[in-house]
Amino acid sequence: MAETERDTELQTLEAIFPEIQTPKPDDPYTIALELPVAPSKPVIVYFPTASNDGPPPDPTAGRAANGVNPQAGLAIATGRQGQGHQNPNQQEQPQVDSHELAHLPSLRLELSFGPRYPGEEPPKVAISTNPPWLPAETIKRLQDDGPRLWEDIGRDMVGFSYIDHVQQAAEDIFGLVGDGGALEVDPRHKIAILDYDIQARRATFEKETFECGVCLDPKKGAFCHKMMDCGHVFCVECLQDFYNSAIKEGNLAAVKCPAPNCAKEREKSRSPSGRKRKKPKVFISPSELLQIPIDEETVRRYVTLKYKTELESDKNTIYCPRQWCNGAARSKKHKRPTGLELPEASDDEEGSASEDDDSEETPEGEVGKSKPYNKTEDLLAICDTCSFAFCSRCMQSWHGEFVGCRRAKEELTAEELASIEYMKAHTTPCPTCAAPAQKTHGCNHMICYRCQTHFCYLCSAWLDPGNPYQHFNTAPDGRVTTCFMRLWELELGDGAEVGYGFAGGRAGQPAPAVVFDERVEQFIPEIEEATDGEDEGDHNDHRGRPAAAAAEARGQPQQQQQQQQQQPPQQQQQPLPAGAPAQEVGIAREGPLVLRIAANNPPPAPAVAVAVAPVNNPGGANRGGPRGRQGAGAGVPARGRGGAAVHRGGHQHQAQQQQPGAGRRGRGGRGGGGNAAAFGPGRGGGARAAAAAGHNQNHRQNNNNQAQQQQRRNNNNNNNNNNNQNHAGGNGGAGAEHDMVEMLEMLDGNGNEEMDPRQEEWVREFVRLALNDEEDEFDEEDGIRDFGVAF
Amino acid sequence: MSSSKRITKELTDCTTTPPPNISITLPSDSNISLWHITLSAPAESVYYPGKFGIIVQFPLEYPFKPPQITFATRIYHPNITNETNGSICLSLLKTDNWKPSTKIVTVLEAIRQLLVEPQPDDPLETRIAEQYKNERKEFEKEARAYVSKYAKGQVKFNVVDGAGAAGEGQQAGRAS
Repeated sequence: MAETERDTELQTLEAIFPEIQTPKPDDPYTIALELPVAPSKPVIVYFPTASNDGPPPDPTAGRAANGVNPQAGLAIATGRQGQGHQNPNQQEQPQVDSHELAHLPSLRLELSFGPRYPGEEPPKVAISTNPPWLPAETIKRLQDDGPRLWEDIGRDMVGFSYIDHVQQAAEDIFGLVGDGGALEVDPRHKIAILDYDIQARRATFEKETFECGVCLDPKKGAFCHKMMDCGHVFCVECLQDFYNSAIKEGNLAAVKCPAPNCAKEREKSRSPSGRKRKKPKVFISPSELLQIPIDEETVRRYVTLKYKTELESDKNTIYCPRQWCNGAARSKKHKRPTGLELPEASDDEEGSASEDDDSEETPEGEVGKSKPYNKTEDLLAICDTCSFAFCSRCMQSWHGEFVGCRRAKEELTAEELASIEYMKAHTTPCPTCAAPAQKTHGCNHMICYRCQTHFCYLCSAWLDPGNPYQHFNTAPDGRVTTCFMRLWELELGDGAEVGYGFAGGRAGQPAPAVVFDERVEQFIPEIEEATDGEDEGDHNDHRGRPAAAAAEARGQPQQQQQQQQQQPPQQQQQPLPAGAPAQEVGIAREGPLVLRIAANNPPPAPAVAVAVAPVNNPGGANRGGPRGRQGAGAGVPARGRGGAAVHRGGHQHQAQQQQPGAGRRGRGGRGGGGNAAAFGPGRGGGARAAAAAGHNQNHRQNNNNQAQQQQRRNNNNNNNNNNNQNHAGGNGGAGAEHDMVEMLEMLDGNGNEEMDPRQEEWVREFVRLALNDEEDEFDEEDGIRDFGVAF
Repeated sequence: MSSSKRITKELTDCTTTPPPNISITLPSDSNISLWHITLSAPAESVYYPGKFGIIVQFPLEYPFKPPQITFATRIYHPNITNETNGSICLSLLKTDNWKPSTKIVTVLEAIRQLLVEPQPDDPLETRIAEQYKNERKEFEKEARAYVSKYAKGQVKFNVVDGAGAAGEGQQAGRAS
């Protein structure tokens, strides 16, 4: 009978709790059960410090002793979801370490039904936890409950009621939560308890189902990843695809939570003061990437790239002169990442951590200023990669601080020069990190690929990310920038490929120009020493212009510059197209190619042809000069997009005439308006066809010739001695529109120009062809597709 | 995850519960990544009862890269370029703001909302924006004129060659 009762009970229990184990193989009547301790609401657990824990804490006594301290209660009250919260009242209650836990380590219950159970003997109960976080008193009380219950129900089968009783007790953690609402636990078990909670949470998470916002498929939690910082859930597969491709492409900015607005909102919420520019952490840490999991190789690349980007966006970074190395010099500001951890970026303190303690980091940017003496800490740089010690000024191996070093007159290879030239011609530097950006299409609101600065492509100005377009509009106070209404200039992009050159924000903009030069100086270290008399003259004209120095170095005849200087007078002598003078208006030479002409200004009487020659322009702004660019000329009011009175002038007409043909180093495809630009057909140089390798000097030469040709045809000037007749002017598609508008205006007699019969005839012919869509006959190289549309 | 799977899913969603005022067709059955959207201007907008063609081109990397969206129908609007192939400046679609979990429905709804409420402070067409701010009557007149000129009758989707190429070449810098 008794046997049967025991058996029946066991069967019942096994049916209810299928996870029941029989720990003792020889005794089928001893069963064990893991009971989860998951309070209905997450409970605050705090761990008193090791210093005051002493003997295993008696929970009640402990609480009484601490008075469950109002502070502890306070900590809890102010407490929040996360972990590792510190008690704000640290003075009085130094280290209360409280955590909100949803799961505590489970309780192991062993029931042993003896042969005389249930009639004469209560079940034997053993309770334990691992780690033993549950106080002994509580365990004893729970264990005593077994026989008591058995008595209460009249010495009957008590198994289920007892298990149920323990389960219920577990729900409020056996009444251990004190008045403060917190549970105190011996700090020795802290790690294990926290660990258990994480695992248990994870297990719960894995059982849930989520809809991944990327692939839109429902996925089990086990195949998902919950973002550590924001808690958004995505499926592992999508995250892997997303981050892998972003890291592969080097698009580090994308390595954020993929939920819309998530990173952005956190960014906002963390910098409410606005002033305090602590960069909120919206990027995903390498360790989280590993957890997703992203494979180690990719994470390593991520870490390396981040470090590199950081170095590159710092203008002061010095690179190792060893060609096989090229590593960055050690710097206090940027710590080299060790392993897969990103060092905590310390650049927040930029500024406050003043320059002078950046010992290894000679401010390269200050090379322009002469240095009074050679302090070791200013000059000595040590490569982080190969540990090579070198002088940051002359880039030779370290020579000690008492040896004056001179500029290395090394020559750049033609290729390097070409690419510097190209960068100058077709890129705009980011105002923050000076990374050159080349626009491929779209409007002039740029975002730096490296440091995410918003800036204007035309003038390299920093733009407020909140309202970047203001720059192209009227400011609230009525001011306009020089880029007013020019948001869409160069919509097709910049570079030889797109049909015309544009000097980006460099030319005429001292600041960015200087910035750029610093970069160039990585190639040609240029030293100015106070005592260096020889260089002095040169510097007056070309301060901070290593490119000019380079030009010299590569044998650019000095006379070239002289020619340039002679040009202004020549220019004025040059027969201007008839009528042009009347329309000449003051020219703001703000952009390279771009002349802004006040459309409605009454034409001032005499022509004012402003030539920007090197002599007139000290400082970085003179880059136009030696390159043969002249900011001279004027234009007709042209209709830009949106009616802007903006017009891209022609090209350095004259410089070309001086030396047509090979060997000219003149900067092509940009330059201020040609002197004869009254009819200057906008964006010349349109060498779409000739584009291909923008690094090729010859191509640039072509551009020049073409631009010039184009101009010449329009102007029909006879003062041209260029023999390159077979170049058809390549109009960029967009340029064509401008051309037509201008020509029409001329035909309308709008404006004061008069054309000589030949010009007029040419224009009429061109318009006729254009209207018939036959203008290709004029321009065989490249179609002017937009004509039909333009009218 | 292949882009076509997600696009298919979104297309199914859009066809089973079509967003208001929006209908979607695929110009070619074999190419699921090019959508032609016909957007009927909401009654509360000045563009009512115009019908506007919108071309949505999903890049290969969709949803990791934003879709390219252009207006095939000319529209007089501060935030849409006034040309045959009107581009839209929608912050949602900028590369640095785009998030893979943004759905195309959200984007389309944002565009529809843009018709109701132009945002003259963030304009592409500054002149129109000025007009919108200062001479609302004139603006409305002009907008209606455009509607009756371009946005009546069957919506035409001219072949836009820019749509395919526009997604490429952002190596050096990104323009919005």
